[in-house]
Amino acid sequence: MTVSSDALARPRAPVGERGFKYLLIAPSVFLLLAIGIFPLLYMLVVSFVGIDMMAEDWSFKGLANYKAAFADARLWQALGHTLIITAVALPLELLLGLAMAQLFLEKFPGRQIFVALLVLPTVVSPIVAGATWSLMFDNRYGPINQILGWIFGKEMPLLWTVDPTLVYPAIIVAEVWQWTPFMFLLLLAALSNVDKSQLEAASIDGAGYWMTFRKIVLPAIWPVMAIALLIRALDLFRIFDIIWALTKGGPGTMTETISVFTYVKGFTQFEISYAAAVALIIIVLLTVAVTWMLKKIEIAR
Amino acid sequence: MSKGTLFWRYVAAIAITVFFLFPIYWLFIISFKTPDEIFSFPPKWYPGQIHFGNYAVLFKDGDAVTVWNSLVVAGVSTVLAMILGTLCAYSIARFRTGGENLANWIISQRMVPPIAIVFPVFLMYVKLGLVDTYIGIILLYTAFNLPYVIWMMRGYIQDVPKALEESALVDGCTRWQVIWKVVFPMCRAGLLATAIFTFIFAWNEFLFALVLTRTEVTTYTVQVTHYFGGQSNFWAKISAMSVLGTLPVFIAVAFMQKYLVRGISLGAVKG
Amino acid sequence: MADLKLTQLHKHYGAVHAVRGVDLEIPAGEFTVLVGSSGCGKSTLLRTIAGLEQADQGSIEIAGQVVNDMPPRDRDIAMVFQNYALYPYMKVYDNIAFGLRVRKMPEADIAQKVKSAADMLAIGHLLDRYPRQMSGGQLQRVAIGRAIVRNARLYLFDEPLSNLDAQLRDEMRSEIKRLHQELGKTFIYVTHDQIEAMTLADRIVLLREGQIEQAGAPLDMFERPATQYVAGFLGSPPMNFVPARLVAQGGGYAVRLEDGAELALPPARVAKLAARADQPVTLGLRPEHMSRAEAALRPGLARYSSRVDLVQPTGSRTYATFKLGGVEAIAELDAHDVQRANERIELALDMNRAVLIEPSTHRVL
Repeated sequence: MTVSSDALARPRAPVGERGFKYLLIAPSVFLLLAIGIFPLLYMLVVSFVGIDMMAEDWSFKGLANYKAAFADARLWQALGHTLIITAVALPLELLLGLAMAQLFLEKFPGRQIFVALLVLPTVVSPIVAGATWSLMFDNRYGPINQILGWIFGKEMPLLWTVDPTLVYPAIIVAEVWQWTPFMFLLLLAALSNVDKSQLEAASIDGAGYWMTFRKIVLPAIWPVMAIALLIRALDLFRIFDIIWALTKGGPGTMTETISVFTYVKGFTQFEISYAAAVALIIIVLLTVAVTWMLKKIEIAR
Repeated sequence: MSKGTLFWRYVAAIAITVFFLFPIYWLFIISFKTPDEIFSFPPKWYPGQIHFGNYAVLFKDGDAVTVWNSLVVAGVSTVLAMILGTLCAYSIARFRTGGENLANWIISQRMVPPIAIVFPVFLMYVKLGLVDTYIGIILLYTAFNLPYVIWMMRGYIQDVPKALEESALVDGCTRWQVIWKVVFPMCRAGLLATAIFTFIFAWNEFLFALVLTRTEVTTYTVQVTHYFGGQSNFWAKISAMSVLGTLPVFIAVAFMQKYLVRGISLGAVKG
Repeated sequence: MADLKLTQLHKHYGAVHAVRGVDLEIPAGEFTVLVGSSGCGKSTLLRTIAGLEQADQGSIEIAGQVVNDMPPRDRDIAMVFQNYALYPYMKVYDNIAFGLRVRKMPEADIAQKVKSAADMLAIGHLLDRYPRQMSGGQLQRVAIGRAIVRNARLYLFDEPLSNLDAQLRDEMRSEIKRLHQELGKTFIYVTHDQIEAMTLADRIVLLREGQIEQAGAPLDMFERPATQYVAGFLGSPPMNFVPARLVAQGGGYAVRLEDGAELALPPARVAKLAARADQPVTLGLRPEHMSRAEAALRPGLARYSSRVDLVQPTGSRTYATFKLGGVEAIAELDAHDVQRANERIELALDMNRAVLIEPSTHRVL
């Protein structure tokens, strides 16, 4: 088939339809602005005043809320907790997902059924996933301690959602359980699309498994992997539901993440202006991080 | 594959599947256990008999109405997001309206953390009296899912050969007719898949609902958390309500295996 | 009255100036072929005529009416696309009927029109099928059927045969030509294939870099190309071009090749060349205007001896590649004129039909 350069050129509205294209986007853009931008501007204003549970004080407080936020150790700890969870869960999900994708890459009878079943954790509501794991982790009636009891030959009444040494493993197990299948599905699709003839050429050239993986498979699946990592990193950064169901940020504030912290400040302690400042800081931080990540991916391609 | 490899592959596959499905199994069986069975020690690995009492309680107490609320909120917001988003996606896909900037801005709206969206929206809703109303939560879900719909439908529409539309234009169609008679039929599967995913996202959503609902439009996800107690949890209700919320999703997903990967990867992988 | 008139038409794609000031008039009933290599602007031109692209400058008139700002549906055109552009979710019947239904024609009339179009294209037995159940040739027939039921003023074809294999292409080509004769409508046909252009066209419009290089009847263009580009584009294998110099020889003139060989020009051509004596020229010779030299040459033929580098028999004819004045050239000979490579061969070059080109302007003298 010949594709003339004409066909590749930039599409444009044919004759008589120049207004049409704007008519089509108008309602969506309007709604996104109405829900996304105006409240944001409103919040910006709120972050410069002093509204809290006690008083609706609309007088200008300058950067007081921002100063307070930067000086608030609890906020930085929350950021730290968020980053720890991300730094542990993300590589785990990636490696487990990749290993599973390798396992299910070749066709064998029943493969489709396994894949279909493995999807299920990912589509469960995260709050339900959290609730499910809180049932699983129950110190007395949950199956986890029971199984550990069999393994160690004695009762294991571990307080997974309370014991400071166990809360993080509990959260990460739940998170990894829910989202590894996501990684798995995407990587399986990416691996299935790797050009078989390239693999054959590599094996004829005598390349070993790791060599082939690094030089051919990895570059081929990287675009999908990068997007999977980006989606998951963003999800992990805003993690809320699973923690809310398992620990509500406790014990104390030990597992409080950015989202949980902001929620608590804004909606249970009603430090409205302060929470507004924190939310804006999060948006700025995230925008910087996402832009940076997108650049990284671009460069890698 | 040799017999031996195949054997070990099955062993590994089954072990993995057990790990990923057991919690779901556990959730489901608890919902069918009697209170005695739930709180027996050591725990019972399967229910003595299938017991529907936990569900009956949800319906008797009226808690099940939260599932109906979820249905209304997710359903209406999905329809709205699909209509607005698909038209917008068509404009972006066919005419590059707004160029890269508009497309990037729209997808970046998807990446903002929900807590940072819901907080200002909450402040505004308090002023407008929209907290704990269908309109309020539906509007937010519609706006939150719009970027997803636009992004996904843009991909599906780009897959429609341009010549099909041009042919229809020459044959006498207006642009609206082209969208209705050519683009929609060509994207039927994509439209359905995107709608189902949009529905699932709204259906499963928790944080917005937690913030913006009180008593009138509580969704099932919020209702589940109402059963967590300080000392003891209402396990029977937690599990039964969770199952009510989860089962429809499983059924929906079973029907769209083919579009699953494209749907959850934001179109990065075309299945 | 002209069915289509283009005046100083311009079209840009971003930085690319795809159509640069095209003037063209197409009389009713003519079969015009827009031909040129990839990127020459021929498809853009067709799409601008159809209204699928907006012209940047100049005017498009269809039947005397300026249509620049008219959407495609109001232009009274029908179009056949390269990839058939059939609606996969409709049966063949509904595909053909689509344009009529959009225009609210009564179903009874539609049925009759579809039937007569289907008969004309021998696809009556396919009306109940879906496009995915059909071959490329059948799909293209349906696409053509969808266009002809429309009874439009202009029929536009955008490389309709380029997705078909060679044999089917020949078959469909004659089909399209026959259709034009039966319908008597104005056809505008875009292709990059010079054989399609030659065989189909009443008039060829050869485009190059967004401009009309030359327009005319196929044989006129073939025999009297205006430029080196046209001379090289039409004909297969293409014309050979050899750098040379015009020299006086005896009473007349000859071209001297770089290897010193002098090829005498027939006296009939001499008059125009007098002023160019001792100037460089490019000699253009078509492969079919060379043959194996006999002992005595007819007037106008020039003898040239060379060693054959490559022999490619096609069955009916044999292509011999050799060096002509230091440049690789191809001669189309009788099947048995040359047996194998490295043979020395005496060729007779038909200087009556040779083309002389001014090397700096690339215009034919």
